[in-house]
Amino acid sequence: MSAVAPPLSELREQVVAFIVREADLVDHQRYDEWLDLWSTDGIYWVPCNEDDYDPTRHVSIIYDDHERLQERVFRLSSDAAHSQDPPSRLCRIVGNELISVTGDSQIEVRANMVLVEVRSGEKNVYGARLEYTLVLSGEMLKIRKKKVVLLDNNEPLGNLTFLL
Amino acid sequence: MTVVDGPQIGYSSLVEESRVHSSVFTDETIFDAELERIFHRYWVYLAHESEVPEPGDYCTKSIGRHSIIVSRGTDGEVRAFFNRCRHRGTTVCRYEHGNAEFFRCPYHGWTYSNKGPLIGVPFPSRYGEDFQKGSLGLVPVPRLDDYRGFLFVSLADEGPSLLDHLGRTAEYIDMFLQGSPVEQIELSAGVSKSNFHGNWKFVGMDGYHVNFTHKSVQDLQTRRTGNAESRKGNSDRAPNLTVDLGGGHCRLDLSLTDHVELGKATSSLIGEIPNNEAGHDYVRLMVERHGSEADAYERIRGARDVHLHVWPNLQLIGSEIRVIRPLSAGYTEVFGYPSMLVGVPDGINERRLRGYEWFNTVAAFGTPDDREVFERNQVGLQNDREPWLVISRGLGQAEVTEDGVVVGNITDEVTQRSQLRQWAEAME
Repeated sequence: MSAVAPPLSELREQVVAFIVREADLVDHQRYDEWLDLWSTDGIYWVPCNEDDYDPTRHVSIIYDDHERLQERVFRLSSDAAHSQDPPSRLCRIVGNELISVTGDSQIEVRANMVLVEVRSGEKNVYGARLEYTLVLSGEMLKIRKKKVVLLDNNEPLGNLTFLL
Repeated sequence: MTVVDGPQIGYSSLVEESRVHSSVFTDETIFDAELERIFHRYWVYLAHESEVPEPGDYCTKSIGRHSIIVSRGTDGEVRAFFNRCRHRGTTVCRYEHGNAEFFRCPYHGWTYSNKGPLIGVPFPSRYGEDFQKGSLGLVPVPRLDDYRGFLFVSLADEGPSLLDHLGRTAEYIDMFLQGSPVEQIELSAGVSKSNFHGNWKFVGMDGYHVNFTHKSVQDLQTRRTGNAESRKGNSDRAPNLTVDLGGGHCRLDLSLTDHVELGKATSSLIGEIPNNEAGHDYVRLMVERHGSEADAYERIRGARDVHLHVWPNLQLIGSEIRVIRPLSAGYTEVFGYPSMLVGVPDGINERRLRGYEWFNTVAAFGTPDDREVFERNQVGLQNDREPWLVISRGLGQAEVTEDGVVVGNITDEVTQRSQLRQWAEAME
């Protein structure tokens, strides 16, 4: 975990490729490969009602540590998750990446996402601001934090059991 | 399908002891009548007083088609008003919560104090002498009352008292609060808002669906514990119960297979009491309050899932205060408030939140599967060639206790019959 980050110019290409790959994996329900992208101290956070707060005092739509993330993937991979049977068809565009190196081998990324989801005769469009904290583990990037700030996180929502 | 027209026609013939006609869930004429005869008449849950803790605090809520402002005036008193300017009808408050000394209409600037009276009308000289500013305050709801911090309204001028309406549910509201050493909760942790394309009455009490709709949750519990205990609580051989408390109020008693032990995962939706400093401090506080460890554990056990439906629109399930908002026969919103215990170590409420996110939110592992079933119900019910649905499970086998409470096996349809019987009475 102690690798020194290369200069930002070289990192940028690697980071964007990583985020595009992550998007591709979740769009195609490749759950186990997606789970492999995570650092074991990772937090997957989708705030509720507001964009930022202390998650020990306010409910979140998702606040997964690695154990909960494994449960999420276990459930989605089973045949018992009715809300993803059949699974949502997903297509997302992630862009406008702003990348900064914030410490030893730690990279912060802000980006925007537009996600189209189709399931059960219904089409939903979700817009979100993404915040990643990535860490270099050897040559590999891992996700230490992924925060998905949905524009409609204070509106009544339907079925968000697919991966955001 | 519309089976009967007109607002004056009774609908009680659509509910029989062992079956219910599916138009009860699909017919928009019936839905309009439900708003008038149930939501605009009976006591319905509005808000919790902890949502407006300080003078000047307000929040906005919905009852049927009405938008309601709940306002704690500068005098400290909680009032509820229809969110409508007396001039041309604009809503005077557009935020869900905040603190304000007055509400000012954006249209012509009419201004109301947080106690209701109209205190400002711009350019008043153009009104005649008969203009009575004093009679044009925000219109209060006809009746507002609270039970231990739970605020209810009735839009009927007269009728039974709130306590009469709550009946036997009051003791379970008491039980819900007993998880706190000071017997108080607060709704300070936000709200999970969801919707589904289905009828509001699907959000009921059903002990039969768990092993099927929530198989994925039980699989996860088995993955954690290494055993299949959680499946055993919801079978025809389980000791757990369905309970008809009268008046459409009902509950599931799932506590008979629940055991409280520090650090031990259970079938409880709240999850275990963590075996750490916060968990030990919590138990110590409860023992100090109640004298014995056995008593403290018993209260914790009871409080962590009273699984109560206060008819028509309130449920207390796990840590959740669940509020049902009917918008049409085929569209419903559900607001879930994770309740926080007052007077406990932070780690206990944090654990409560993580438990809530495990089962209840729109991206969680439990409630979304209920929602999926509700939406498939609404589609399936359109196929009404044979419109009668079966609610006879356990009929004739239920026990009636001395004080008139009907009790059945956890998989029985005691609860469905309880709610639909009350529905038929209200809709007669």
